[in-house]
Amino acid sequence: MKIKITILLLALFVSLTSAFISRLAPHKLTYLKLVVPKGWPKPSADVFASNPLTEEGFQLGRKLFYDGRLSRDGKFPCASCHQQFAAFSTFAHDYSHGFNNSFTTRNAPGLFNLAWMKEMHWDGGINHLEVQPLSPLTANNEMAASLPTILKMLNGDSAYVRLFKAAFKDGIISSQHMLKALAQFTGSIQSYNSKYDKVKRGEDTFTMKENAGYRFFLANCNSCHKEPLFTDNSFRNNGLMIDPESKDQGRMGITGNPADLNKFKVPSLRNCTVTLPYMHDGRIFSITRAIEHYRTGIDISQSTLDTLLRKRIAMSNEEKANLYSFLQALKDDVLLNNPRYLEPGYVPPPSVDKH
Amino acid sequence: MYFVFLPEKADALKTRSGKIISMSMQRPSIKMTSPFCLLFLFVSQLIQPPASAQPSNQPAANVRLSFTNSINNRPLVLDSTTYLNHWNETFTVSRLMYYISNVCLLTTDKKTVREKDSYHLVNEEDSASRSFSMMMPPDQYTSVSFLIGVDSLKNVSGAQARALDPLNGMFWTWNTGYIMFKMEGNSPQSSLTKHKIEYHIGGFAGVNSALRIVQLKFDGPGITITKDKIAEIIIQADLDDVWNAAHPVRIAETPVCMTPGALAAAVADNYVKAFKIMSVVYR
Repeated sequence: MKIKITILLLALFVSLTSAFISRLAPHKLTYLKLVVPKGWPKPSADVFASNPLTEEGFQLGRKLFYDGRLSRDGKFPCASCHQQFAAFSTFAHDYSHGFNNSFTTRNAPGLFNLAWMKEMHWDGGINHLEVQPLSPLTANNEMAASLPTILKMLNGDSAYVRLFKAAFKDGIISSQHMLKALAQFTGSIQSYNSKYDKVKRGEDTFTMKENAGYRFFLANCNSCHKEPLFTDNSFRNNGLMIDPESKDQGRMGITGNPADLNKFKVPSLRNCTVTLPYMHDGRIFSITRAIEHYRTGIDISQSTLDTLLRKRIAMSNEEKANLYSFLQALKDDVLLNNPRYLEPGYVPPPSVDKH
Repeated sequence: MYFVFLPEKADALKTRSGKIISMSMQRPSIKMTSPFCLLFLFVSQLIQPPASAQPSNQPAANVRLSFTNSINNRPLVLDSTTYLNHWNETFTVSRLMYYISNVCLLTTDKKTVREKDSYHLVNEEDSASRSFSMMMPPDQYTSVSFLIGVDSLKNVSGAQARALDPLNGMFWTWNTGYIMFKMEGNSPQSSLTKHKIEYHIGGFAGVNSALRIVQLKFDGPGITITKDKIAEIIIQADLDDVWNAAHPVRIAETPVCMTPGALAAAVADNYVKAFKIMSVVYR
């Protein structure tokens, strides 16, 4: 009898002490550093200024990114429109699919090097990475959810309770913490390991065609698709006709300035061979046709057309082929296959057929 | 301090701070040998939450801002009461919310003191939200000022919490920024579905910024803030000004405003004139 009580009390002691230790132990965070490759500009200063990048925050954001329960019917996680194998764009879809068989109104852009981006969305309507998810989370043609419902779900899930505790000192499950965690994940998705990057680092060399394409690129494309990010993050009218149905005014819809009519954000050309289709509404399906648009397709009648495109871009067939070769060298297989960006718990089959 | 749980005696042993204490273990019914007793005491001590986890007491306050919303000097009643604006248009109000931020007091010698982390959302539906308290340095003050809306910095600094949580429905998701002032309702003069009126006023940058500073002077020599009394500044917002105080805004022409722009700026010019000090009461 006495032994039983002793064992019981000892067990009580051990469990209580361990509870105490876990409670009083200082909140430990594993800090991460964003990679700033040599020769790159500095990342947008305020992206992680009030949201220090940690492994715990990253992992929470990663789980949120892949969780369909953030959408109204459970079917549309962020990852449904942002697929890793397509550099986190929607592969081969002009518009992405949303709640209740709806379509989005613009083409889902790839997600990488977001820490260098000042404004999100094709029209630049979003001014901070942290508040970007609010739009797809709540839009009726995307995830169609509401913040109170999402927070209720998160609060009821012990795994999330644990992850929020690990990632944030007070462990509160709030919209602010959810958004900060998502920003830590999406802001950590980086692309700096394409063949182009390796050539720049002296680890590889261009083929003759790639090299000729690179020279053509520098002379004709680099002023907007500026290396090493392959975008200058500006808004420009590249001579597409305004869609008669959507009447999408682009940047003007945000600024209200008629000079911004039909201007859209210059997208990065990194990974462009896997982010098909192209343009803000995905109207051009192949990369060769996208190049052709600049040679013959630009509507030069528009008053807000970018001054650099008023004469279109002259190129021979050979130059076009060379440029295509160079653009292929911007594909970053490290990004496309990085296991850190996979759905948590997903183990890829041993021999993945990589396209 | 050691404490143990003694349910029967708990009330008698509660201290003023609410903690239960016991100095001795005298109850014969508990047959614990002393090592276990010590062990138990030890463990009880350990599982006390760390001091930082305990809710801190509300900081003392000596200034309180209270907002009373009205239309044509009639108290605002949501949904059920019909009002008339300057243009003889009839309307009801179903929702009224606005931000009050960056509260400052100006001393007689022209020094400005500001409330720390000063962001408040006044929601007509929630009476508790219509007043808030703060601690200000004791002094003689001649005026109070505040921003109607959320300053531009908080509009460009990512996800925020509490009053600024996007959960409050005062944040645009497609064109980042706070809705500074939101008034919804119905009017037979409105051409919208169900004769709705919806004024979502926002925009924090450029010529069409809807940010407006209200500065209100106290009567006479001003007010004296001390350490031990609360000065309640009762402010009336007489909101028929929304339609005519500076620019004519007619429901028949513009029953809705959902984007930053010239109309939003005009409505902001109007409602900024609605705020007046009714009285200052010392409690």
